[in-house]
Formats: sequence, structure tokens, C-alpha cells
Amino acid sequence: MAKWHPLFEATESFFFIPGLTTQADAHVRDSLDVKRFMSFVILALMPPFLFGMYNAGYQSNLASGASLTLLPVVLKGLLIILPLVVISYGVGFFWEILFAVVRKHPISEGFLVTGLLFPLTLPPTMPLWQAAVGISFGVVIGKEVFGGTGRNILNPALTGRAFLFFAYPAKMSGDAVWAVVDGVKAGAVDAFSGATPLSIAGLANAQEKIEAVLKAADYPFIKLLLGLYAGSIGATSALLCFAGAALLVVVGIASYRIIIGGIAGVLLTGYLLNFLAGDSSSAWLSLNPFYHLVMGGFAFGIAYMATDPVTAPGMDKVKWVYGFLIGMLTVLIRVFNPAYPEGIMLAILFMNLFSPLLDHIEIRLKIKKRVINV
Amino acid sequence: MISIHSKKGFDLNITGSPLPQTSPRETPVCVALLPEKIPFVKPRLKIKEGSQLQIGSVVFEDKRNPVIQFLSPGGGTVREIVFGPRRVIQKVIIQLDQEEERVSFPSYTDSQLADASRASLVEAILKGGLWCLFRELPFGDIPDPDIEPPSIIVSIDSREPFQPHPAVYLKGKADLLTAGIKILEKLSSSVHVSIHQDSDMPAGLAKGIVTHRVSGPYPAGDAGVLLYRTKKASAENRAWHISGQDLLLLAELIRTGQYPVERIVTLGGSLAREQLHIVTRMGAPLPHIAGENTGDPPRKRYIVGGIFRGYIAEKDSFLDLYATSLTILPEGDEKELFGFARPGSDKPTHSRTFLSSLKKAPFTVDCGVHGEQRACINCGYCDDVCAVDILPQFTLKSALAGEVEESLAHGLLDCVSCGLCTFVCPSKIDICAVLKGAREAYYKEMQD
Repeated sequence: MAKWHPLFEATESFFFIPGLTTQADAHVRDSLDVKRFMSFVILALMPPFLFGMYNAGYQSNLASGASLTLLPVVLKGLLIILPLVVISYGVGFFWEILFAVVRKHPISEGFLVTGLLFPLTLPPTMPLWQAAVGISFGVVIGKEVFGGTGRNILNPALTGRAFLFFAYPAKMSGDAVWAVVDGVKAGAVDAFSGATPLSIAGLANAQEKIEAVLKAADYPFIKLLLGLYAGSIGATSALLCFAGAALLVVVGIASYRIIIGGIAGVLLTGYLLNFLAGDSSSAWLSLNPFYHLVMGGFAFGIAYMATDPVTAPGMDKVKWVYGFLIGMLTVLIRVFNPAYPEGIMLAILFMNLFSPLLDHIEIRLKIKKRVINV
Repeated sequence: MISIHSKKGFDLNITGSPLPQTSPRETPVCVALLPEKIPFVKPRLKIKEGSQLQIGSVVFEDKRNPVIQFLSPGGGTVREIVFGPRRVIQKVIIQLDQEEERVSFPSYTDSQLADASRASLVEAILKGGLWCLFRELPFGDIPDPDIEPPSIIVSIDSREPFQPHPAVYLKGKADLLTAGIKILEKLSSSVHVSIHQDSDMPAGLAKGIVTHRVSGPYPAGDAGVLLYRTKKASAENRAWHISGQDLLLLAELIRTGQYPVERIVTLGGSLAREQLHIVTRMGAPLPHIAGENTGDPPRKRYIVGGIFRGYIAEKDSFLDLYATSLTILPEGDEKELFGFARPGSDKPTHSRTFLSSLKKAPFTVDCGVHGEQRACINCGYCDDVCAVDILPQFTLKSALAGEVEESLAHGLLDCVSCGLCTFVCPSKIDICAVLKGAREAYYKEMQD
């Protein structure tokens, strides 16, 4: 029975803050613990999550020609999203518990966040078994093989998504995956293109303005900002993602340095590319940089993924660099790599790898200034 | 006067803060010396149970350097010597006589003091048993009297919660403090005296005595923080320090030739019967200070020496040599349903994740951990409060990995053990204990 202690402990500590007391100095401790820390991320995820649910139902009903009133849309959204979330948490927790029991460590609350982040990065049509495979890869390879939450080098949710992206590209890209279409009603389906803003932008000719192309496809800037269009479940509404980011910054959970650095990286790179734009160059080069902020998953990624303290640098100054480079890489991948319509995922994973190096550099510089004491 | 601002740190705003009033206590029945609580010292007893002692008789000496002696804080009979595991000497309890006798030591008038040589003063302090009040940075050991330190730092106000207010313990003793600083100036060419900006400068203090005015949250007033903020070269690292109240004892010894035994200690904490300063004896029994019986409900914790740096004392124990505070807090061992999801308008915290962070009112703090230990998530809260910038989250890892060089490069020896990194850690890792352990291991290795 004793080996199941982590499971018992996790269940108990879900309900109670345990009555442990300090045994030596410091005798008093802050009231904040990791569970509350992570709970705030979940709380901040609620706006994009709830909106994502509504949006998934809306797009599905739009594509299927069903009713667009609130109740059916929400019900439809629930039917689409809930299984994904349940699978993500269920399968993820299975691995968490397995590793906790075998390796005798407590179940960390970090997974509460991963388990919700992961489904929000997926298209609503994701087959459940693939979602299960993805979260398994994310939890096991992205985290547990390194020793669990706090010791991983890559963001587990993004690792899972990256795995799906490369393993099952047909289900993670293209125009057909972004809305659940059922009960084929001819005509209605034709009216629904299902193409995401990023894929439409990618098809624009050199002479065209992407802004105009998007507008023609009924994707004006304001719609991209608000998010009522087909895309990854949680990531379409840039506005709500930034609102969640603001909450996390206010309570001191997420680093504003990373978020502002990321936004600055996108805007600055976007403007620099504008200078490179010529008549025959890709339409991407002349895109208004603000479109980069609201299209695709950038807002979601910079708010919830890039700010993961475990995989981001720990030093304050290089957090600016880290955020900036994520923003820059996102734009560069979008603009110069037609194979990947979205860049934020790979940008964050790539920068995750550089976090220790960035930390190392800043620590060296800081140590140099100290008066040596040995 | 130099102004020093130490930005990082944290002032914990909690209930039970002692009022700036003093209350005298009657002479206790017995007092004690607690050799176990004096760091690094290897005591060799000079007395036996039943020995007759005067105030100032030698009780034990340090085997490592027998000139460092520890004297009796009371006149009477040795009632009991309490040994702990592996025969560590825990307590020497002295039953006080009605009329206590005193050993007399050489005394110095102001003019004699001005002419005295360093050697004669060192001799007087050693014989008078108060050399142990000096501590050497960074390890906190009692310094070697033959070495002249790069500087001596007097911190008048440590800013640790519930320590005696300088306005209280210096009241009417400003001339004694001045004399104390004169003594220090004989021992070292450089004497720094720091007081916190928020503390009132005691009346009657000679001009130019205070060299540094520090500002900022706890542990801004700490001697180690002052050294970190002021030092220019490695040669300054081995500075000595002495607390303001201890310096008064030293000055009293030199001036009167009598071993001083009066202590002003604070009684504080939300469960203390009263919260104020208490004038009592060195080594007084804790129940005597707490003003209550030991038969009280057991869910109280007695902390001697401050809530961040002190130790848990048994309720029938005594004040140790250095102790200036007794804090009584609730144990806080109750479970809390859905604690992580409550708004928390009464939770003491450094973070901004509770409603309480919007309030200015003091909160009741207990000794609960408020969570379970998890792996470090690199949130960096510890660095936000580290007054000596040692990057606790990274130094913790290098210390745990046994990378001594790396830890030292990070500034392990600048750490003042303020305990704030442990306090703020949401993963509930006792960072301060790891750093302290690494430092002590390094010190041991250096001595061998």
C-alpha cells in the first residue's frame, strides 16, 4: 500500500493544505505554495478556455449549418472540447502517477497546468487517441524522464504538441482540421472555408497586401484580435490571452519581461522586415507587424508557454532577451519558412534550449562584479 | 554619515509586535548557561554540580582556545548540568543565592581607557568573559583575539521582527554606547556603527558615532549586509561584528569591572501573554520571561532568537547567551480545506497571490509550512528578497551538487542566513538551511 502514497498524498493535498509545521528556522513561511501558484495559471487560462469552447462550437455549427444561438453553440463546444480535456488530464495523470509511484516522488501540481494547456493548443478535430499519444509524449519525454516538474528543459505541453505536429501533420495543419463538421449539409459546408488567417496569409501573392487578402477572406484585424474564427482551441482570441497574461503579471506569477520582450521582438522584427520589402518580395515582408501579434498562436504562446518559469531563464535581464528572441523567431519562421505556417511553438521550444545558456551568461557577468569572498 | 540603501528584503507585517515599553521582572530562582547554543565552541567545564559560583566565575572555556572563557551569569550553586546526546553539554543551571557575590575585574575610567593599550583591553575583555560577544564574519565564530580585524561592525538595529528596539535598550545609556565604541576603536582601526533609518537616534548619543545610516527592509540592518554593501576588497571579508546591546555589556564590564548580567529581551508573538520589552537576567528561565506556567496548552511554539533565525526552545528552557527575544507563535498544524483556492484576505505573504497583499494591516502568522515540498520551479522569488544577491535558486543547486567553488563564486559566504529565501519559497524548500549547511561544511574543511 505504501507505494501508493503519492496518489493518496495528491488526493489529500488537493482538498487540504496539509498541517505540516516548520521544524527549525525560518519558523514562519509564506502562505503561497506551488499549488496556488499553478492554480493562478489555470485561473488565467479560463478566459481563453471558455471562449475556445464557445468558438469551437460556433465554428462547428457554422460549418455544419446548425444553429448559431448561444445554447446549441455552447453545448456543441462542450461536446468537442470536454473529451479532449478529459483525455489530456486522464492520460497525463496516469503517467504522472505511474512515475510518482515508481520513482517515489510526490505528484507535482505542474501537471494541472500542462493538462489544460495541451488541449488548448490543438485543433478541435484532433482524434482523441492522437491527443492521448501527444500528452503521453509531452509528459513522459518532455518532463518525467528528466525527473518531473521543475527539472524539465522543454515545456511539456508544447513538446506534446510538437510531437503531434510532426507525427500527424495531416491532423495538425491544412484547412480541414480547424472546425468539427458533422451532419453534412450541402451548401452550408461550401460557405465555410476553414482556412486559418495564417494559411490565407501564406497564400497571398507578392503584389498583394496580406491585410487586404485577410479582409477579403473576412478576417479583419478586429476579428483576429477578438478571436471568433477557426483555429487552435484556446489560441484564437489574442485579446483574452493578453488579458490572462495581464492577470498573471499582476499577481507576479508570469514575468512581464518575457511577455513585453516577446511583443517587442515581434514588432521590431516586423518593422525591420518592412524595410526589406520590395515589389517582388513575399507579401509577408510588408505585413503590418501588429497582425503578427493577433494571428495564430503567438498571444497564447507568449502568455502561457513562454512564461513557464521552469523552462524560461531565471535571471531577470536575460528574460528580456529570451522573450525578444521568441518574438523574433516566431516572425522569422512565419515569414521565411513556408513549410510551417506557425512559428511560436518552435520558437519557444528552441529558446527553451537556450535558457540555461542565457542564465549562465548573466550569472557569470554578475559574479564578476562581486568582491570575492572565500 | 554614509547612507546605504538595501533594496531587497522583506518586512513581514505581523501581529504580536512588542511595544516599546519595558517591564521589569523579579530576580528568577535560577539562571542557566547553554553551551550547546554557542556555535562552534567546544566547551570544557571548569565546575561540577554543587560548585559554588559568584557572578563572573568561570564556568567553562573553549577547548579550541582556552583564553575564551564563559562566566557565570549568577551567584549561587550549580544545581544541575544537563547533558544531551553524545554528552553535549546542554545546560548548566545555577540556583541563585539570596545575596549574590561578584567577582571583580579591572575597571577603566574614561581617561584610563583613552590611554589603554589594545593588549590590555583584549586581556580585560577575555578575563571578563565577554570576548564571545564578538563574532567573525562570515561564519559567526568567536574571533581570535590576537588578530586585528579589518573592521568591527556594530549593528544597533537588526530589523529582524521582534528584536529589542534601540530606543528602548539605549535609553539613558548613550554614554555607555559611546564608551563601547571607544573600546572598539582600540581593537580595530575601522569601526562601523549602523542604525536603521526608521529607528530614532537615541538621545544623548555623541555626534559622529554613527557612521552608516541604512534603509530598506529586513535584513538591511544586518552587519553582513552592511559589509556586503560597503566592502571594496576581499581583505575586508573577515570583519567582526557585535550587536548594539552586547556592546553595552562590554562597555559596562570595562567601566565598572563587574560582569554585567542584565538583559533587555522582547516578549512577542500573537500567543504571548503580553507584548513588550522585559528587563531580566542573562540566562533567565523562559517561563519567567513569558510570565506564564509551562502547563499551558501545547500548541504554542517558543522561539528564542527571532522568527527567521531563532530556534525552537522547550518551554522550560532558558535564554542563551546571545538571546534577546522570546517569540510565542501558534504551531499552525491545522489542515485547511481548499486552502489553495481561497482568496486569503488574512494570509501573510510576500507574493501578490492573496487578497491580503492589498491590505496594510498586520496579520497573524503561525509556524505552518502552508504546503508541501516540491522541486524548485525557478520562480526566482528567493532572489527578489536576497539582500546580498547570491541568487539563492542557483546557489542552492550548486550547493546540493557539492560544487563548492561554484557556490563560493556565487557569494555563499556573503549570505547572512536571514531566512527570507526559505520564507518565500513556494516549493517550500529550506534553501537557507542548505546554504548554511554548505557554509559550515566549508568552514570545517578549512579548519582541518
